[in-house]
Amino acid sequence: MHQPSRRQFLAGAGAGAAALALAACSNPPSTPSVSSKNQVGAMKTYDVGTQFKATEPLTFSIAMLSNPAYPYNANWPFFKYLKQMTNVSFNPTVIPYADYATKTATMINAGQAPMIIPKTYPGGEDEFVAGGAILPVSDYVDLMPNFQQKVAEWNLQSNLDTLRQSDGKFYLLPSLLQSVWQDYTLGVRTDILDKLGIPTPTTWTGVQSMMLAMKKEYPDKYPLSDRWNQPTPGGNFLNILSAAYGTAAGWGYQDPGNGAYWDASSGSFVFAGSMPQYKAMVTFANEMYNQGLIDPESFTQADAIALQKLTSGKSFVISENAQYVVTDQQALAAIPGATIAKLPLPQGPLGKKLAENASNRISSGGGVMVSSKALNSPNFTALMQFLDWLYYSDAGQMFAKWGVQGVTYTGSVADGTFKLEPDVDWGGLNPAGKKLLDVDYGFFNGVFVTYTGSTQLLDTQFPPAELAFQKTMSSWATSPLPPPAPLTTEQNQQVTLTGTTLMDTVQSQTLQFILGKRPLSQWDSYVSELETQGASKLVSTYNQAYSTYKTKYA
Amino acid sequence: MVSKPVVSKPAVTESAPASTRQGADGQAGQPKRKPRTRAWPRPTRGYRVFQVINAIILTLVVIAVLFPFLNVLAQSFSAERFIDAGQITLWPRGFNLTTYGHVLSDPLFWNNYRNTVFYTVVATAVAMTVTTCYAYVLSKKYLRGRKLLIGIALFTMFFNGGIIPNYVLVSYLHMRDTVWAIALPNAINVFNLLVMKSFFENMPAELEEAAAVDGMDTYRILWRIVLPLSKAVIATMTLFYAVAFWNSWFAAFLYMDNQGLFTVTVYLRNIIDSVTSVSNIQQSAGTQVQIAANIQAVAVVLVAVPILFIYPFIQRYFVSGVMLGAVKG
Repeated sequence: MHQPSRRQFLAGAGAGAAALALAACSNPPSTPSVSSKNQVGAMKTYDVGTQFKATEPLTFSIAMLSNPAYPYNANWPFFKYLKQMTNVSFNPTVIPYADYATKTATMINAGQAPMIIPKTYPGGEDEFVAGGAILPVSDYVDLMPNFQQKVAEWNLQSNLDTLRQSDGKFYLLPSLLQSVWQDYTLGVRTDILDKLGIPTPTTWTGVQSMMLAMKKEYPDKYPLSDRWNQPTPGGNFLNILSAAYGTAAGWGYQDPGNGAYWDASSGSFVFAGSMPQYKAMVTFANEMYNQGLIDPESFTQADAIALQKLTSGKSFVISENAQYVVTDQQALAAIPGATIAKLPLPQGPLGKKLAENASNRISSGGGVMVSSKALNSPNFTALMQFLDWLYYSDAGQMFAKWGVQGVTYTGSVADGTFKLEPDVDWGGLNPAGKKLLDVDYGFFNGVFVTYTGSTQLLDTQFPPAELAFQKTMSSWATSPLPPPAPLTTEQNQQVTLTGTTLMDTVQSQTLQFILGKRPLSQWDSYVSELETQGASKLVSTYNQAYSTYKTKYA
Repeated sequence: MVSKPVVSKPAVTESAPASTRQGADGQAGQPKRKPRTRAWPRPTRGYRVFQVINAIILTLVVIAVLFPFLNVLAQSFSAERFIDAGQITLWPRGFNLTTYGHVLSDPLFWNNYRNTVFYTVVATAVAMTVTTCYAYVLSKKYLRGRKLLIGIALFTMFFNGGIIPNYVLVSYLHMRDTVWAIALPNAINVFNLLVMKSFFENMPAELEEAAAVDGMDTYRILWRIVLPLSKAVIATMTLFYAVAFWNSWFAAFLYMDNQGLFTVTVYLRNIIDSVTSVSNIQQSAGTQVQIAANIQAVAVVLVAVPILFIYPFIQRYFVSGVMLGAVKG
């Protein structure tokens, strides 16, 4: 039986993309025009505040991710209500969660993509741009009044610019957040804090002295034993620590790409892994490790092991987000009186600064790609109006998220009276509810709703503890947004090659330094290793792409 | 196989089955209770050492093969705290059926399991028919264009269209969402084809000639003479194909657009991926942690055990096949 390996798959995908690219070259993109042929089913007057309803029944094909937590069900009331409201039904390709990207990529490259391809994260569209199978949606946003209004009102234009490709267009309709949402931080056993009389730390040095106090009380334990090491070791821990120092590591290392870090003070990209700030961060982490505050397995162990250590009382500090802190609290039931809470994001040398990049406002939730074929459909205008209503209008976002007033919820978000119906539960907000909003109704489905929309709407899904956390975070500064530096296909290939090698080196050596296996006195030789592997060249490619873009489109 | 008599040796002197074994060894006339003396020629010291070492090595091999199976089985029934602490070896600790309950209570699991059985049966039948016919034809040296036909088969061993062209092809043939998308593109495995071809080539030509003289045509010769004599290779190839189709998930995942058509391997892969990477399973934390801890073991057991039961039924054909060769050799 032929089981294609990843390499074979890439080769196939590459060949397909190349073939499509050739086809696209022979037929240069003409200036966008939505002719009268594309108007079937569309509303004549559609604007912000209008309830979209197609003038005749329409069916759109869609890539439908099926999440095992709420497996796709064709009989979900969601579809029934959607049909009632918009006259639109779906012809879905149901795709299992685990391999969504593989299947959508194959379908797109084979020219068989559904019209609507949701759950695409920024950067995910890059590989299809050259093939021409994905619609440059930026040419058609004039059909999307809600989208335009949100971008203008929430000042997201510069965020959108980061999506632009080397032709100056963007190919993804991203999710739009009103404000930066800092979710990830460290969690700590608050009952231990109370027992030892330690105040809640607000800085990294505060975290250090907190853990020192824990170590003093429990000398045989490591206070911090972390999780989320796959695929990036120390993903969250290094991300929030590096952001506090003004550099990028862990999850943040790839933002905007391959270790190129936007240094606003110099107005250019620099290589994150060799920045002096990076050294300072590593030095601090190494100091904590030498004090016995960090489990030697902290950056390599599996999540389950880390959780096991936490719930059996072997560790007290762990990476957290709003969802996990709820389940962790339940898992801690075995220890009487144990409580866990998110710490306010610890501050570093840069003070009150969020770890989440400002680009988080368009990247935290998945976006939507539209197949180029849709342009030939008589229903194209209706499709764009529909997408605009469902994904970007207040009414559409509310519908996709919480359902129908009087059926799944009561009250309204605007006046703060929003409440789920007594028998409906989501995420433990209404533990008495027997029916699950997503499993039984099909609302709050990641295909149609993500962490997106107004802060007020987002806040409805959080328990009080998370709301308090968000309130603390809301006044903090964000990292400056990297400017668009779209790479050409060749540059992209080149940068990916060197970038992968460099990333391996940076990740492994970061751990070596932190865990004391390589003395920090060797920092300079580490930096020259990075140079040998092409760090400067990589950074200059980005800087070049940035200046090209600036001169071309500024 | 060699280790068997050695391992049972200590029992030979006392037990009744042992004496029948000796009886079979050409001592039928001897009274039953007359062990030892002339059972077989007294082994030399060197041979005994060889036997002991052989037994030890083979026992180690058996342990090495069996241990992972038993360990996975034990894990699938164990509680999460023992699994995460790495305390499971051969026996379940903190007996627990949460994960089995979670998987087995889902109607989709049973639906997909039915699909797996259906696809495996159909695809194996198709593959066996096509492969047998192709191999039989290729085994005839006088066939014109034989080298070309072999070349065509071999070519696909080293080159293939890649995923996207295959996907386009299957789509345009309207085979998506049908069993044919799984059965047809994988109907001929070139390795299996060549094994079968050489098996047929080694069959005495006189048999077929005699049948032809008696008036049988080619199809009846294949059906009445060749195939009954080829049970060993047919059993082996059926097993190879069935196991491959049973385990495969990619074709079902790629060509099926409806989860009611997925195979159980796709289903379990999906569950494994979701519980180990996201925490949005709507379960209590304890259940979720438990499922995450041993879903992989449970999946292995649920998928591997049924296909394991095929082996005993096919085993005897292997044995007879081997003996057939030995006697005639």
